[in-house]
Order: sequence, then structure tokens, then C-alpha cells
Amino acid sequence: MNELAIDTKDLSKSYASVCAVGGINLAVPRGSIYGFLGRNGAGKSTTIKMLLGLVRPTGGSARVLGLDTLGEHIAILRRTAFVSEKKTLYPSLTPSELVRFSRGFYPTWSDSAVEKYATLFEIPMKRPFGQLSNGNQTKVWLLLALCQGADLLILDEPTTALDPITVDQLMHVLAEDALDRGCTVFFSSHQIEEVERIAEYAGFIDRGKLLMESRLDDIKSEFRLITAAGNSLPSQTSSQVLSVAAEGNFCRYVVTKDADGFAAELSQSGATITNISPLSLREIFLQLVRKEQ
Amino acid sequence: MYFWKCWRDTRSFFVVFLIIAAIVMPVAAVVSLGSHLVEDFGPHAFLDTFGLILLAVALGLGAIGASHEFAENTAHFLFTKPRSRAYFVWVGWAVGFAELLAVAVVNILAGWATLSHFGKNPLHSAVFGSIKTEQLGGILIYGLYIYCLTYSLTTVLRNGLRGIGASLAIIVGLPYFAIAIRWRWHVNLPLPTDTIGGLSMAISSSIWILVALLLVLAAQLLVERTEI
Repeated sequence: MNELAIDTKDLSKSYASVCAVGGINLAVPRGSIYGFLGRNGAGKSTTIKMLLGLVRPTGGSARVLGLDTLGEHIAILRRTAFVSEKKTLYPSLTPSELVRFSRGFYPTWSDSAVEKYATLFEIPMKRPFGQLSNGNQTKVWLLLALCQGADLLILDEPTTALDPITVDQLMHVLAEDALDRGCTVFFSSHQIEEVERIAEYAGFIDRGKLLMESRLDDIKSEFRLITAAGNSLPSQTSSQVLSVAAEGNFCRYVVTKDADGFAAELSQSGATITNISPLSLREIFLQLVRKEQ
Repeated sequence: MYFWKCWRDTRSFFVVFLIIAAIVMPVAAVVSLGSHLVEDFGPHAFLDTFGLILLAVALGLGAIGASHEFAENTAHFLFTKPRSRAYFVWVGWAVGFAELLAVAVVNILAGWATLSHFGKNPLHSAVFGSIKTEQLGGILIYGLYIYCLTYSLTTVLRNGLRGIGASLAIIVGLPYFAIAIRWRWHVNLPLPTDTIGGLSMAISSSIWILVALLLVLAAQLLVERTEI
């Protein structure tokens, strides 16, 4: 059995002369929580739509749960729950009716999960969807996705319009309930803190290109901020040095790979290392995007 | 599932026209009681009413059935359900077709009952006497053609009103177009209201049914290729 829930090879999508996704290689392990980070318009939603067969790739290939997205997308959809970036649904249907509508499509549907999550998220089940607040509309999408009993949850900006309490509840649900069932969670977001909180793996996408993809702990351990003091400190970036910020006699280096080695080099050239500290995921993301720009 | 959803979307429209189909002939007959209008003009009035009701229902159901998903931005929800897009296109079509047929049957039964009741010979009613079965069949097939045309155009244009507009333009414009073709090239363009060339009514009807279904098939192919 393929150990990857999502596996893409040079997946790309262009609209006329605009490249929305430019050949990305994603590897999402089964049973993991994967945060797909990127700015607005970075290509997150287009990538997700290609995985679900809503958009046809112009290049490359993708496999979801070991199945080909072009030839076997119905089988993929049977085992995948999806929360769209656009949280629109039939305005005249109540959440109860939407549950009734969705239930029949999935043999693994769980009515007990409906009760559980409807109570947890405090969803007014008898009010038409069109009359619900934006937050409650998002909750209905989440409810429908969580009750499918899916092997893979693909959530596109799942926390849009949610209050902090519900975001907290959702994070718990994803980190505990979903993972307990062996479900893989792939969620896109530009809220880095959410990814940092529950994700085991993260991928950064910008302008259709995957800047980095790895285990979150590895990403964090790979990047270091080195503050050095001295005269004539090096001010060039390289493959190892992502950025340099000089201020008086001090220089701040964002270093990837072998920070200790770089610090030793600086020391040998007469600099005084005043601090070596890890970077937050937000800082790493910003550094990578700035370097790409 | 989707049958229920389509039924839910169209039921109000369907029920209103079902009631109209059921009462229009009895009410007309009661209103014109004593004037011998039913005895003299009943069959013609029935055929005209039948055609009009079917036209309205075909246009309405064709426009309601297909446009919702795109107009309401719910295609990304529906098309991530584990069914082919063809399934959704044809289920929507089937529900509308069943309702169209139900309205037609109710209208025929109500018309038959009314004409039988007010006519001289209740059992040998107008429907089986002065009205030919082919006439009813022809109107039914024309209704099906309009329904399929509106359904496919609404799907293509992603908007119910545009679908009705385009469908009406074709319905009204096609005979004039046919006249122009005949005048310019002396070619008789077949029209859904006529038999095709020297073919029999049955074969002509079968061809028009096939054309109607091909229109829906074209809509299906388009929906399958649409990126959401």
C-alpha cells in the first residue's frame, strides 16, 4: 500500500499565460496532519481542486490515497471529505436537510458524529443555511466533512469566519478524533499559528511553487537566527544564508543548514556571536517568501 | 439524495402547474355552461391549453433544474460528491421530465373527464374521437424537445433566465430560419412540430426524441469538462 495519502509529481496548472501552480511535488504521509501554507493567491486552492478533480491539471500527475486523480476521482471522492474555500451551500436547506442530502453518498457516514459535532459546534440545525452567520456556515461545512468517516480530510481555509473558541474546538477535533481514526488531514491556511499548533508536516507554497516541505520539527530545527557583532561582517546571502540584516556593528543572519558551522566561521573571522536562536514558523515562512521574491 | 434535492427545488413550481393542469378545463367548462362552447370547441380549446401548459412547464422546469449549482455557487459542493457529473445532469433531467409527464397526464385526464362529462357520449370521449392520439403525442414530444432544449441551454449558460431566453429565441426563430433556408436554397429544414421529410409520424417522433436527448447529452459533456 502506498504510504502517501497525497503524492504529486510536477503537478501544474496554467490559465492562458498565467501559471497558477508550477510543477509542485507534494508528499503527504498517511495518518498525518499536513499544513499547506501560502499567501492569498499562492495556488493552494487550485492545488486542492486538482486533487479533487474539480480542475484538470495542465501538467504532471497526482495520486490521492494511492488513486489517480484523473482516472479514479470518484473512488477518491468516496473516501475524501472536503471543506471548500467558498463556504456557500444551498441557502434554502437547513443543516439537518444538508445532512440528509449528504448522508446517502457515503456508506461510512456516521449519524452519531452528526449529533456530537452539531452539539459541540452549537449549530442551529433547523435554520436555513442562507440565514446562518458566516461562522455557522463554516461550521456546517465542517460538520458535513467530519461525519463522512473519510480517510482523508481536505480542508481549504477551514477556520474562515470562526471565532477563537470554535477554532480551538476544531483543532482538538482534528488532532484527536481524526487522527484516532487514522484519518489524514490536509489543510490549507494562511494562519501560520494554526498550522504550527497541530500540524506534523508543513508545506510552503508561493506563486505556485512549493518553497519547502518537511516535518515541522525538521523545518524548525533547520533554521536559526544568528546575531553577530564585529567589524566587516559578511553581508552576502548564499544558499546557506537566507537573509542578512545589518545594524551598526551587529548583523542578524537567517541561516539554513549547519548554523553552528556558519557561526564557527564567523567567530574565526573575528566576529562575536551574541545569540543563536530558533525561528518561529512565521519567520521561516516570511524569510522563504522574501528570498523567492 | 440528489433525486430528493431536485424534487425539493422544483416541487413548488410543479404543484402549481399540476393544479392548473387539473382545473383549467373543468373551470372553463363550468364557466361556459349553457353556451355549448364545450360541445362545439372543447377539443380545440383542450389541445391549445394542453400545448400552452406543456410549453410553460417545459420552459420552467428546464430552467430550474440545471442552473442551481452554478448560479448558487454550489458546484464545488455537489461535484465533490462521489458520483459522476453525468449522474447529476441526468438525475436533474429525469426529475423534471417525470414532473413534465405528470402535468401532461393530469391535464389529459382532466380534459378527457371534462369533455366526456359535458359531451354527448361520455365513454367515446373527445380524446379518442375528434382529437387524434398523434396530436397529443406530437404536443408531448414538442414539450419534451423544449424541456431538453431549455435544460441544456440553461446548463450551458449557467443561468435560468438566460436559458429560457435562448430557448424561446430558438423556438420562435427556428421557423423563420427554416423559411429563409427554403427561400434561399429550396431545402426544407425539419422542424420539431412537423414530420421529417416523407417519414412516418412514429419515425419522425423517434428522431425528435433522439435530438432532444442529444441536447442533454451535449450539456452533460460540457458539464463534465467544466472546471469549478
